[in-house]
Amino acid sequence: MKPPLEASSPASEPTTASARRKIAGARKNALRNHGWRGTYALLVREIQRFMKIAGQSIVSPVLTTLLYFVVFGFSLGSRLQEIEGIPYIDFLVPGLMMLNLINNAFLNSSFSLFIAKIHGAIVDVLVTPLTPLQIIMAYVGASVVRAVVTGLIIWLVASLMGAGTVAYPLFTIVFMLLTAIGFALFGIIVAIYSETFDQINLLPSFFLMPLTFLGGVFYSISMLPPFWQAVSLANPILYMINGLRYGMTGVSDVSPWIGLGILTALVLLCGLHAWHLLHTGKKLRE
Amino acid sequence: MPNFATAPTPTENFAGPVLTVRGLSKSFGNLQALRNVDLEIEPGEIFALLGVNGAGKTTMIECICGLQAHFEGQISVAGFDARKDYAKARQITGLVPQELNFDGFFQSLETVSSQGGYFGVRHPDQKARALMKRLSLEGKEKDNTRNLSGGMKRRLMIAKALMHDPALLFLDEPTAGVDVELRDDLWQYVRELRESGTTIVLTTHYLEEAEKLADRIGVINRGRLLLVERRDHLMDKFGRKKVTLRTAQPLPEELSGKLRTYQWEEGEKNEYHFHFRLDEKEPTLPRLFELLGQHGVSIMDVETRQSRLEDIFRELLQTDDEATS
Ligand SMILES: Nc1ncnc2c1ncn2[C@@H]1O[C@H](COP(=O)(O)OP(=O)(O)OP(=O)(O)O)[C@@H](O)[C@H]1O
Ligand SMILES: [Mg+2]
Repeated sequence: MKPPLEASSPASEPTTASARRKIAGARKNALRNHGWRGTYALLVREIQRFMKIAGQSIVSPVLTTLLYFVVFGFSLGSRLQEIEGIPYIDFLVPGLMMLNLINNAFLNSSFSLFIAKIHGAIVDVLVTPLTPLQIIMAYVGASVVRAVVTGLIIWLVASLMGAGTVAYPLFTIVFMLLTAIGFALFGIIVAIYSETFDQINLLPSFFLMPLTFLGGVFYSISMLPPFWQAVSLANPILYMINGLRYGMTGVSDVSPWIGLGILTALVLLCGLHAWHLLHTGKKLRE
Repeated sequence: MPNFATAPTPTENFAGPVLTVRGLSKSFGNLQALRNVDLEIEPGEIFALLGVNGAGKTTMIECICGLQAHFEGQISVAGFDARKDYAKARQITGLVPQELNFDGFFQSLETVSSQGGYFGVRHPDQKARALMKRLSLEGKEKDNTRNLSGGMKRRLMIAKALMHDPALLFLDEPTAGVDVELRDDLWQYVRELRESGTTIVLTTHYLEEAEKLADRIGVINRGRLLLVERRDHLMDKFGRKKVTLRTAQPLPEELSGKLRTYQWEEGEKNEYHFHFRLDEKEPTLPRLFELLGQHGVSIMDVETRQSRLEDIFRELLQTDDEATS
């Protein structure tokens, strides 16, 4: 057994007393704090982070998307006129918005977490009382804000340039949110596993981008030969693009509910996996 | 005596050690970084953890602060289990990591403020400013953390760790890379923190730092906590005094038998080194002089040297390395 406090502790009596008081105070804070204020603080900081590089995180994706819109919308639009019974411009906007949502949600969470990991700043978050769920909520929340804000700007500008209005607003909003949440979660997972910048760039450049472009952003798969139609149907992002297109215009190559199902599955699976990684501390606390 | 009668709820009361580590073992693959470490830290003390590079100091701190999720054994911080009750344990702990970090997106003040925010501190800006000022970082508030010098980054990390008023603060090599003047100031600050009730565990390679600051010292070697002692006891128990005598003529033959009880060796010509323990009860040194006088040895010069923590530390590690190899 260890000797009594006075014998083993060299700290003088008054110091011990003030230390006891301090411990009681800290325990009080610990029992009171459930981490939600902290979650909010982390969310705000993650929003501030992308706002500090707004040129890169907001302006640049908006401009790129609008460039697609102008180039494809007006060049192809004048020839195609109508596709699936709606003006080509209306057809194009949901596809471009989906492209933008996926990119921004994924890039925001994956890069923020990855850079924090590389520069060691992630330690600041790991030593806090925040739970895995709270950390995820903050990172995902900020990514959703970035993705939805850029999406809305694009939609606004497109509307001003003559794109139609939203056919099913509720469906559209739910669909946009699920997309942003799903890919932000995916970004967290990729950031945790990645060890180099190459690895983290791999997915967006060789997987997300091609699948999105081949998922019918610019065209309807009914315009493809039967073989390529069948191949396209294996692409999950096709269902997402068509789902949003259904919400915004009412037309879709495939059932929008499949898209909703895929997104729900993405959110659940990625959510559970991200939580599991943070909970076990894989790659971050080892 | 602390009086807990006025504490609002009984759950805040906690009378045990601020940190209890029991049977802590941690391995990285085949490498056993910590072996069955037991340690208790008492409220209000400054505890210095000493050990060579790779001894396991940082690993131990990381297990306590939640940066290592997988280990064997039990850790409890002011009564909260570091794994089961991690959120509460972390609210009580503050960490200044050994590894310098920065967040290139933000200004210094912003990182300090938001660190408080994560712990639920309301309106953290004012407190962040005050802490930065105390740590001589005034005027650096708007600088990007990336552009601070190493020593400034270190001090910024100390400010961050203090934002939520931790009761138990870990300083993993706090003065590495801090210049001499600021180091003295930092030591002063550490003492102030302790006066205000913060319990402090620090690691350092400057044994002078441990000697000046610590109430107790723990020595860790290859993952094993070799000893934990009060600093003053450590000096008494393991400290040695070396007395070097220079005599006019060589020691006479008949003396060597009588000097058997002493630990000594011959140095250069007519030079003799005698070693004494600091905690010796017997007046051995006067007796030695007496004895030499009786045999007609005249002493020309006496030189004494008392071992410092550094010598003690070196000797401890040497003994341990010999014993385990
Ligand atoms: N994440 C890790 N993966 C693998 N091995 C590790 C890891 N962290 C530490 N180690 C190993 O564990 C041992 C203890 O390291 P630790 O960082 O705790 O030493 P230390 O006492 O803090 O040393 P220093 O004085 O250099 O800071 C070392 O052999 C180190 O190589
Ligand atoms: Mg270390």
